[in-house]
Amino acid sequence: MATESDGEEETATTAGKLTGSPQLSVDDDLREMAKKAAWSVSSCKPGNGVLSLRDENLDTYWQSDGAQPHLVNIQFQKKVKLQLVVLYVDFKLDESYTPSKISIRAGDGFHNLKEIKTVELVKPVGWVHISLSGNDPRETFIHTFMLQIAVLSNHLNGRDTHIRQIKIYGPRPNPVPLQPFHFTSKEFITYSILR
Amino acid sequence: METLMVDRVQSSLRLLMYSNAIFLCERLCAEFPSELNLQLLATCYLLNNQAYCAYQILKGTKMPQSRYLFAITCFRMNLLHEAEAALCPVNEPNAEVPNGAAGHYLLGLIYRFTGRRAYAIDHFMQALAIDPLLWAAYAELCALGAVEESNEYFSDVSAQRIQQQHLSDSSSHNSSTGSEYCSLPPTAAVNSVDSIPRQSKQFLANSTREISTLQQGVVFAKVQTTNSGTSNLSQYNTPSPAATQLSGVAPPPLCRNAQVFLNAASSDGSMKSNLNLAVQAPRRKFMDEGKLRKVSGRLFSDSGPRRSTRLSAEASIIANSNAPVGGNGSNHSAKFLGGLSSSSPTKANIASSRSLTFKKGQSWIAESFEEGRRPEIFDDSRTENMATTSSSISISADGRCLEQVKATGDLAHDSRLMSGTRELLGLLRILGEGYRLSCLYRCQEALEVYLKLSQKQFNTGWVLSQVGRAHFELVDYFEADHFFELARRVSPCTLEGMDTYSTVLYHLKEEMKLSYLAQELISVDRLSPQAWCVLGNCYSLQKDHETALKNFQRAVHLDPRFAYAHTLCGHEYVALEDFENGIKCYQSALQADDRHYNSWYGLGVVYLRQEKFEFAEHHLRRAYNINPRSSVLMCYLGMGLHSLKRNHEALEIMEQAISADKQNPLPVYQKANILVSLKRYDEALKELDQLSESAPHESSIYALMGKIYKRLEMHEKAMFYFGLALDLKPPAADVATIKAAMEKLYLPDEMDDNL
Repeated sequence: MATESDGEEETATTAGKLTGSPQLSVDDDLREMAKKAAWSVSSCKPGNGVLSLRDENLDTYWQSDGAQPHLVNIQFQKKVKLQLVVLYVDFKLDESYTPSKISIRAGDGFHNLKEIKTVELVKPVGWVHISLSGNDPRETFIHTFMLQIAVLSNHLNGRDTHIRQIKIYGPRPNPVPLQPFHFTSKEFITYSILR
Repeated sequence: METLMVDRVQSSLRLLMYSNAIFLCERLCAEFPSELNLQLLATCYLLNNQAYCAYQILKGTKMPQSRYLFAITCFRMNLLHEAEAALCPVNEPNAEVPNGAAGHYLLGLIYRFTGRRAYAIDHFMQALAIDPLLWAAYAELCALGAVEESNEYFSDVSAQRIQQQHLSDSSSHNSSTGSEYCSLPPTAAVNSVDSIPRQSKQFLANSTREISTLQQGVVFAKVQTTNSGTSNLSQYNTPSPAATQLSGVAPPPLCRNAQVFLNAASSDGSMKSNLNLAVQAPRRKFMDEGKLRKVSGRLFSDSGPRRSTRLSAEASIIANSNAPVGGNGSNHSAKFLGGLSSSSPTKANIASSRSLTFKKGQSWIAESFEEGRRPEIFDDSRTENMATTSSSISISADGRCLEQVKATGDLAHDSRLMSGTRELLGLLRILGEGYRLSCLYRCQEALEVYLKLSQKQFNTGWVLSQVGRAHFELVDYFEADHFFELARRVSPCTLEGMDTYSTVLYHLKEEMKLSYLAQELISVDRLSPQAWCVLGNCYSLQKDHETALKNFQRAVHLDPRFAYAHTLCGHEYVALEDFENGIKCYQSALQADDRHYNSWYGLGVVYLRQEKFEFAEHHLRRAYNINPRSSVLMCYLGMGLHSLKRNHEALEIMEQAISADKQNPLPVYQKANILVSLKRYDEALKELDQLSESAPHESSIYALMGKIYKRLEMHEKAMFYFGLALDLKPPAADVATIKAAMEKLYLPDEMDDNL
């Protein structure tokens, strides 16, 4: 059986086993990045389209309608730093529609996507947090124009998949413009901006 | 019936029973349609916040008071052009602005909101010239930045002006009228004055009963009336012809007098029977009975402090050109004064009658003076005088009036007025000076001025808020917090200035206090923009920018002219990286108030982020020009100049910022940054070293030092400082950058983005 851990190993293609948690717990210094991004999916059933992935409603879901792998593509207007992908899936409700193997790819466009992470989900219920960081602190973020979430297989060998919500997180920008570093002390922060 | 209805309407208004007033007034207008009644109805609607109804009935009216009310209606409905047209009709370029100071003030506001700053300033100044105590106009001038250097507004000159205009101006008058002024067009043709001599003999024959009641009335007249007192007196002693002179000489004071007078004269319609009797006969003799009834009805029913009713009554008087009410009023009140001062029993009466209700005396006064017999009756000793001077209705120079008053021994009252005026002006002077300095962002000086206030005045919500705001502008958030808290304790329902307080708490990161403040304010008034601004700041502090934005937008809906709400919306959009909308919001803020330097600053920051450095520098400089004492603004302007590679100027202004506020570490840091880009590494290191002593927990200082040492290829030191920087737990992005730099230390410097 799968363990709780989401430990990673050296290479980016090692599978971690995740089960999801009921809470969405994201660091305070991260923020949702994909509001202005262009979202698309490889296929969908009418009425369960890509909008359901972003509607803040956990009752609506995207249902794919084609061959595997099912793809969710997120394209940004400029190169962004991303750190975390969070999906909401529910094995209890979706059973064979629940994704089990997910691959995350990044690149400049469809032509040069490269896989950066693979995870395995085991009967997940709730929010599944997938970190995009490498081991090294230097690799906390990925810089990319595009992200692709690929559902490679489902539980119980289901063909199509349900995902109820996806959120993408990256670091907050420096509130003070043109600065190489963030300010950490209260004295600096107080004087650093006007409101 | 009409009189009765008018009286009931006005008493309902006075007792705040608006629906009753509206109902009765509508019946009144149906029964006796006249412009005066329409004015009364419009007043009822306006008081009941139904501006649209007032709009319907006032459209097209011509009387000055109607035009003024119509202008107010349009202003409330945001139909600024119509309001302007009402006050300044296009085809009558020389028409006088109705209601003097109030009219000018309203015009000033209209011009301000339609973007015509020069005209606005002009009108506010005129308003203040007519009524030196019109604080609202003064505040607008300060906000427009038009009160530059010295402050002559609440000076002794104003004192004398007030003195001359409103001799017996008492504190009661002050409180009741506030900023209400009217300019009485000199229409009062004192036709009926001529009847005075004719009737005087008859009146003289009347009993002492009348005299005594008259005395009571007189007392009131004396207490209430201002200029009219003096003017009447002069009438007395300087026989000269025309009524026109009377009205011509003192329009503003007259207006005020009449107002006061009318206030005083207003009764609830509960006329004493003896008064009635007394006025019966004369009434019949009056020329235009119908009009008289209307006017006197108004006089009687006009209650006290209700500005609009006062105005409408007054307007009715003005409108009623046949009835020389205004003139007469001033006439006989002056005469009253004379009479009063001459007899000691009257003095006693004064004392006692002060406690009497206005109504009795006033109605008497009103009635009688219309008849024109009043003056004659009241004072035995003056009878002959009256007979001789009754035909002389002119008011001589104010100075003479003053003399007269003094001459008649009314010194006690007069000096009370003088000292009262002086006191009030003194108070307003301090407040005005403080406010002016605050608006010019000379906050240190403003604080010193406010300290001159008495304890009582200082410990009021408004002053404490202003002091808090001054500290806020000086970037002294602790003190600002302290004063705002005091202000909240002293007057928990004041909403003005609370938006600034919420920003203070935002800077201090006091989440608890901020959310508590938000909840309190929302429960006090859900419809105030300030409450929603506070709530928005609360969410923004928790980094929930979307909800914060929603709240700020709500504030904007509630009051589109509230510049700060727009600015805060702009800040939230920028935090969400939606620069286009951010710019739009900042520009709306500037439309509402183009001296709002926060918006100029906001625009500058957006352009910095978008790397449109020319624009950025321009906007930051505009902000700096408005508030040249803010070290934060100087710092940003320096950053803008640095981005334009104008490093010399940038360094200069950084020096300025450093000396302007020793507590602000940012300019030093930015200076070091600039020096680094100029490759003056040693100087930069020196600055940073000093800085690290005053702000030892700031990670960015060490990170920058590490970067410099890396450039100087002093690898050990670089590692050391990078390590220090990391120890202080910067956010993940910085950790990534610093660690990357550390890795690359022994590699040639690739000069990527930062390191």
